[in-house]
Amino acid sequence: MSLLSLRDVRVHFNTSGGVVRAVNGVSLDLAVGETLGLVGESGCGKSTLGKAIMKLVPVAGGEIVVEGVDIAPLNREQLTNMRRKVQMIFQDPYGSLNPRSTVGRSVAQPLVLAGWKAAAMAERVETLLRWVGLPSDAKQRYPHEFSGGQRQRIGIARALALSPKLIICDEPVSALDVSVRAQVINLLEDLKSEFGVSYLFISHDLSVVEHIADRVAVMYLGMLVEVGGRDQIWKSPQHPYTRALLAAAPIANPKLARARQRTVLQGELPSPLNPPAGCPFNSRCPIAEDRCRVDKPVLRPVGNGAQAACHFV
Amino acid sequence: MTALPLPLPLPLEVRDLRTTLFTRRGEMKAVDGLSLSVAAGETVALVGESGCGKSLSALSIMRLLPDPPARIIGGEVRLNGRDIVPLPERAMLGIRGKEIGMIFQDPISSLNPVTTVEKQIVEVLMTHTELGRGQARVRAHELLELVGMPDAARRLDAYPHQLSGGMCQRVVIAMAIACSPSVLIADEPTTALDVTVQAQVLALLKKLQAEAGMAMIFITHDLGVVAETADRVVVMYAGRKVEEAPVDDLFESPLHPYTVGLIGATPTPGAERAARLADIPGMVPPLNALPQGCAFAPRCTRVMDRCRTEKPALTVPAPGRLVACFAAERG
Amino acid sequence: MPRFGFPRFEFVGRFSRNRGALIGACLILIVALMAVFASVFFPIDPLRIVGLPELWPGEDPEFPLGTDSLGRDILSMIVHGARATLLIGLFASAVATVIGVGVGATAGYFGGWVDEIAMRAAELFQTIPNLIFVLTIVVIMGSTLTNIVIAIGIVSWTPIARMTRAEFLSLRDREFVQACRSMGMSDFRIIVSEILPNALPPVIVLSSLVVAGAILFESAVSFLGLGDPNVASWGRLVGDGRQLIRSSWYICAIPGIAIMITVLCLNLVGDGLNDALNPKLRDR
Repeated sequence: MSLLSLRDVRVHFNTSGGVVRAVNGVSLDLAVGETLGLVGESGCGKSTLGKAIMKLVPVAGGEIVVEGVDIAPLNREQLTNMRRKVQMIFQDPYGSLNPRSTVGRSVAQPLVLAGWKAAAMAERVETLLRWVGLPSDAKQRYPHEFSGGQRQRIGIARALALSPKLIICDEPVSALDVSVRAQVINLLEDLKSEFGVSYLFISHDLSVVEHIADRVAVMYLGMLVEVGGRDQIWKSPQHPYTRALLAAAPIANPKLARARQRTVLQGELPSPLNPPAGCPFNSRCPIAEDRCRVDKPVLRPVGNGAQAACHFV
Repeated sequence: MTALPLPLPLPLEVRDLRTTLFTRRGEMKAVDGLSLSVAAGETVALVGESGCGKSLSALSIMRLLPDPPARIIGGEVRLNGRDIVPLPERAMLGIRGKEIGMIFQDPISSLNPVTTVEKQIVEVLMTHTELGRGQARVRAHELLELVGMPDAARRLDAYPHQLSGGMCQRVVIAMAIACSPSVLIADEPTTALDVTVQAQVLALLKKLQAEAGMAMIFITHDLGVVAETADRVVVMYAGRKVEEAPVDDLFESPLHPYTVGLIGATPTPGAERAARLADIPGMVPPLNALPQGCAFAPRCTRVMDRCRTEKPALTVPAPGRLVACFAAERG
Repeated sequence: MPRFGFPRFEFVGRFSRNRGALIGACLILIVALMAVFASVFFPIDPLRIVGLPELWPGEDPEFPLGTDSLGRDILSMIVHGARATLLIGLFASAVATVIGVGVGATAGYFGGWVDEIAMRAAELFQTIPNLIFVLTIVVIMGSTLTNIVIAIGIVSWTPIARMTRAEFLSLRDREFVQACRSMGMSDFRIIVSEILPNALPPVIVLSSLVVAGAILFESAVSFLGLGDPNVASWGRLVGDGRQLIRSSWYICAIPGIAIMITVLCLNLVGDGLNDALNPKLRDR
């Protein structure tokens, strides 16, 4: 049984301009001990999907199954079990911690809500801080005394408090410097090999995802366009959008950068209030035909365990 | 006998630039003796992490420093041979936008939110050229087409909030190159943009540069973008240049331990992928508490005793390369 | 385990850097001391007639600030009046703050129709002319201190509510709040123990300014003769001297100056609090 199973999940927002289908029918599986990378550009819905799984935004339809239990219809009280299993770390190291709480208090919050006793909590906080490489006197200090990378570690310590099985990482390193990014990525990998925790790693940075993920899912305008193993996606991407994304992503190697074929993807992301009919990518797709403007392609297997949503694959 | 033609001065030559921040918490040498030069048609990337001084260097070159707390306290900035550091602000107003253009990180906040795109481009043209309003409007349309704005005629009447980030950046670029400056400074111009839009903007900058022969300084922390766009790279740390090299040389054989660390910390897809990213232990020191000796010594894997007491000067290990490191000198 | 707060010494340091605020704070302290120790310095009931009427300040060394139309010691009345004035200011501000924070926090956090209703109510209270509203309530419900305090509180809560709402709107979407929600924290707990401590600094500044406003309101009410007859606040003193404003104008002027200085000092203190509690704005 997979750890997380999404079936046709939908998230809609009502805005003054109309309905925005931020997540428009996403189905995905995440196995135990796996790191699934979720990539896409702004407005594709990847962050919204992460928040939907955490029940931070209302789910308009579909099933979110965590270890066999559909959590989509549950209310706040019924979700306590799920919260022990799934936790989240956020993008902004400066906003993800309460500036008026000490580090110790912030890290202990999940424990307080789960009803832990004071002595056990204190010991657990010490352990958590040690796991993420922070000194134990950190627990009396305030977030503003720490750097961005250290604050992310504090956020990770808080997420680990109840020993979750799955951590949703919403752009956890995008706001950090290059060298600090490496520290946090290495930490996440170490925690995975030591505790067997799974990650849903949401990011727009393809090279980071390529480094850390086992499988990758690509989103565009609220829908999945391709899912596959990491090496497979990088070596032979099937969907035209995946190809465009990989072609556009800078590579830190001048010789490789010059050698590769580059056709720059034209056009702009369509407004989510007014997505194109048929395939959402047809307005920018180099191989789009009439059929694409009418028929919406469905995500289907294309060999090697991969799936793609395109008429021509 | 005809005289030999004098060599043309470089579009931009910075010599020993020093900028200090005067704050309540002490004086900070934000830029401590930076020298660099850019030839026509060349792109020099200025790389470093936050706090290294790269943005302040750019603002110093443009004389856009907020004073207080920042002030240029030494050095020269020669624009086409002329030192612009001692010039009064009135003279700088005629230079900025005309001989030297700049584009910033957040395109939407670079534009005036209450004026249309056309008015903003026209304003630049009328300030620095002899064009009348009618001619300027025609030129504004041409510029928007030049920067690849889709449906340019209609976008002229748009307000910035009606445009996407990528389109706004195109407008900013149009304004920056409107008067064909000899130097363009781009400070993280694509950091706030999506990957596919970033590729479009980088391709656009390359095309414009090739057509106009502009010298470009490209400031970024993203080594991938450096590899894609730069001819030469300058690496900065704690306000100083620590390495300079042609782009291929820098990635193939980085000399300074910080450069080695940065490249090792950047994930690269494909067969080159390392099992574990190199991480540089520690943090960038605060500018008002720099260590004695080499600023990178506390974090350096090749540190020697000498590094903790003496600051290394820039040496020339190979033609076209500079490095400030005692360990690198040793080889 | 739970620990709150912000570095206290930094706060005092930042506050003291603002000279005006420091002077203001010292003067307010003096006024407060006057209020607390009034009976010690002036044990005789201030409303007792102790001298010749309408003595100018300086005429008689026993009455440094002179006497009023009935022969009461003005200095004694000022010192005793400080208590009434300050208490009214503080309590009215407290009422306004409690209402304002409650309404603003709920509106800002929950949004939707709760926000709509709250904001329409705020608009209603804002469009009614404040002084007339206060006077109306006092006239209808009676001129007691409690009623006056409540009335002033009722007209003063709207700016506090708006400020609280604005803070909550911006803090509600911060990631640390999302983190709390993802942990299953209840809304009430999030509002009170996570967001409110972060939202309070600008509200505190506003509350200090409301104290000043409340003092002015009360003075106006008492001046018009509608104040509590058992309380000799400074406003009442100004009102009592109305008849003699042409000849012995000092009877009005002295309490009037006292009111003015106190209000000014409260404004300075409010500025200082703003600088001290919002350090990011200061260092820019």
